[in-house]
Amino acid sequence: MKKLEHTQLKETLHFEKLPNGLQVYLLPKPGFNKTYATFTTRYGSIDNHFIPPGKEEVRVPDGIAHFLEHKMFEEPDGDVFRKFSNQGASANAFTSFERTAYLFSCTENVKKNLTTLIDFVQNPYFTDQSVEKEKGIIGQEIRMYDDNPDWRSYFGLIEAMFQNHPVKIDIAGTVESIAKIDKETLYTCYETFYHPSNMLLFVVGPIEPEDIMELVRQNQAGKSYDSQGEIRRIYPDEPLQVAEQKKEVSLSVGISKCLFGFKESRTGLTGDDLVRQELATEVMLEAIFGQGSDLYQALYDEGLIDDHFGYDYNLEEGYGFSMAGGDTPDPDALLGRIREELPRIAEAGIPEEVVERIRKKKLGTYLRYYNSPEWIANQFTSYKFRGTDLFNIIPLLERLKVSEVNRRLNEHVNWDCFAASIVRPLEGD
Amino acid sequence: MALSFLVQFSCWMRKPLPTGIASSVPKGNIRIGKRGVDVTELRFETVDVGNLRVHVCSTDKFKTHMMVAMVQQELSPETVTLHALLPSVLQRGTRSYPSTVQLKRKLDELYGANMFGDVFKRGERHILQMGLELPDAAYLSEADALLDDGAAFLGELLHQPVTEGEAFRESYVKAEKKNLRQKIESLMDDKIRFAAHRCVEEMCEGEPYALFNHGRLQDLDAIDPQNLYTYYQELLSSRPIDLYFVGNLDTDRAVRLVENHFPSGNGARREISPAAVREGAGEVREVVDRLDVNQGKLNMGCRTGVTLADDDYPALQMYNGILGGFPHSKLFINVREKASLAYYAASRLESHKGILTVQSGIEIDNYQKAVDIIREQFDLMERGEFTDAEVNQTRAMLTNQLKERQDRAHDLVDSHYHGMLSGRKRPLDQMIDEVQRVTADQVKAVAGKVRLDTIYFLRDKGGVGNEKA
Repeated sequence: MKKLEHTQLKETLHFEKLPNGLQVYLLPKPGFNKTYATFTTRYGSIDNHFIPPGKEEVRVPDGIAHFLEHKMFEEPDGDVFRKFSNQGASANAFTSFERTAYLFSCTENVKKNLTTLIDFVQNPYFTDQSVEKEKGIIGQEIRMYDDNPDWRSYFGLIEAMFQNHPVKIDIAGTVESIAKIDKETLYTCYETFYHPSNMLLFVVGPIEPEDIMELVRQNQAGKSYDSQGEIRRIYPDEPLQVAEQKKEVSLSVGISKCLFGFKESRTGLTGDDLVRQELATEVMLEAIFGQGSDLYQALYDEGLIDDHFGYDYNLEEGYGFSMAGGDTPDPDALLGRIREELPRIAEAGIPEEVVERIRKKKLGTYLRYYNSPEWIANQFTSYKFRGTDLFNIIPLLERLKVSEVNRRLNEHVNWDCFAASIVRPLEGD
Repeated sequence: MALSFLVQFSCWMRKPLPTGIASSVPKGNIRIGKRGVDVTELRFETVDVGNLRVHVCSTDKFKTHMMVAMVQQELSPETVTLHALLPSVLQRGTRSYPSTVQLKRKLDELYGANMFGDVFKRGERHILQMGLELPDAAYLSEADALLDDGAAFLGELLHQPVTEGEAFRESYVKAEKKNLRQKIESLMDDKIRFAAHRCVEEMCEGEPYALFNHGRLQDLDAIDPQNLYTYYQELLSSRPIDLYFVGNLDTDRAVRLVENHFPSGNGARREISPAAVREGAGEVREVVDRLDVNQGKLNMGCRTGVTLADDDYPALQMYNGILGGFPHSKLFINVREKASLAYYAASRLESHKGILTVQSGIEIDNYQKAVDIIREQFDLMERGEFTDAEVNQTRAMLTNQLKERQDRAHDLVDSHYHGMLSGRKRPLDQMIDEVQRVTADQVKAVAGKVRLDTIYFLRDKGGVGNEKA
């Protein structure tokens, strides 16, 4: 077992890669009551076309990673939720573009719960009947999102930006696409992506690292896994241009929603290079759209935005995008002002004192996030899957140069890559 | 960042609505042993500074300091909209940082201090909350005076707004009135929240609890910078104020911060009376709203007659847990897992008004099926038809939930404040003990008090008349 210390944060990480390839990371949090564990596979909604090691190329129905996540909770002896409840643990799971994570939090029976988590994820059990039954449940989950205007504007923007990349496919799929899912396809996906060498276990809480590591070692030693070759993931080429500049939909809402952003042209990065670009872009976006920016205040005073206005940046190896927006009484006027102001900001550049102010803000924000076991486990896993380490973020932030931020500004603000998504109130509603 | 919360699809929805499981924890830090497991319990020490109540939780487990002011008002049609408007006006500027951009940049300089302000209902009290969370200087190479700066900032935010004569700055009030109008109008945007509010509004028609925490559109026109300022001064000088501090500081330090930055008087503050708790009447009302929606939202409201102040509150928590608080609960198992009707089907308690609500999202045509299954679960509870396993699972989950609330500063404050408001403080160990001791008979007894009152359905515009499905 190795150790990595972060002296400023006063945190120590313990880790080991097991013989079957599973990566295990442990972060003791003395003084906390709660232990939080995530068991995550690097498999998300974008992995819909792949070659399982030693097998034929397959394309799977939209929404299957998420469907599989739901079905993992079923075991031959009943559903796993009851087992966790017996042991006082709150369990859940989630699927994103890139990952599927299974998790629990508890204040007692940590070892029992951890064993339950690892064992149920490593023991798939699907029947035709239970697969059919899940279609009704997920169908209602999809319907719920259909009625959620924030989700509709968010996803509308991604659909507008991307021409081919599977990030444009809704994570849960559609009622039609999940109808095609059967237990054979679920097993294919499971066998491809749930090998320990494609997974990461993170445990944070008032734990003794050596005890927990030994438990995981023995648990894994008791299961036989053949070593797995490389999973080939196939993604289509994505042109620079957006699919469409504007996507609009009308829903029963009281106020319009408007999101806009730029598709990232500079992708293909991993590791610290990826983090540097992510940080530089986030600092740039904060300088433009943050609550301390002139533009934010101007738009607020003009009544075009309110305090729900926000921004976000996503960068993965294969794709990236920025987005900003929120509720607005006049989406067209808001977009007009953005097209007017961004070129001016890009020309003037972001001054050093602004970067320093934002650096301070981000540093304090990271400290605050370290109060949250959930944030630590999820962010750590996400950075590991992108080839770097959460502990590197603060040092890289401290070394970030003003010139890098301004280079990003010029590179990222490219109007060929700009798209907007609008949700308007229904007429006469 | 605010926008990224959406991009995960969870297996089940842990909190269809903000929850209010209550516990409270006074004084000093102790370690309690429960069945061989140590739990670190954090406690608040309470001291009066003039007519302010100051609660301090001294701990080094967080990397931040949190400071929160809570101001009580009665929930009433006369004040609800004035009260709702205050947090956003106060966050526009202070005497030292009169423009909003100056204020926000000051927050950035305080290492991204997180400022929050909101109003919420606790029974028929309307609570104004203003707070600040900022890094503990021990984790930064500089910034020794950070905590003092932060307290000064929060003190100003609350007590020294930008004024023009005996009024708030006009442009700020005008803009925030417009924003509040949008906030009220956009309640319908989130159909889960909308349906939850509409159900309670119908059920409590004529009672203050029916009011929306963000106020009423019809009051906005009459609000001006003068009358809002008069309201604000009256509020801060005469209503109960609780100040919370959580972080690596001792009570003396917190008291000094309050003395230096928060004006206090000696006059008594007017206690706000708790909510009128009604017993269930027995007649079930059905209400249907129609909007252009894909999914129907089925909500039910029940009167329990039991609040945090009552001895059988832990039994009611057990009732709620067995019925619909968790993924092992009856609603989850029967509405979702067995009948495949919904993705979420859960129940929750409002612990000051004594209300239990059920919420679920279903196919519109399945209305009657879902209503029947949910009502059957109420009946099973009333007949005491739940297993030992259901009781034990619920007990374990509630206990876990109570202990986990010790790990978030917000939850610590929230739990303690529930105790302040209800007048019944249950320290964590006592609360856990009470939950452990609840018997199946006590759950059955409390089930007899739960009366279904209103069935609310939000559905599409298809079909005819007032039919449900």
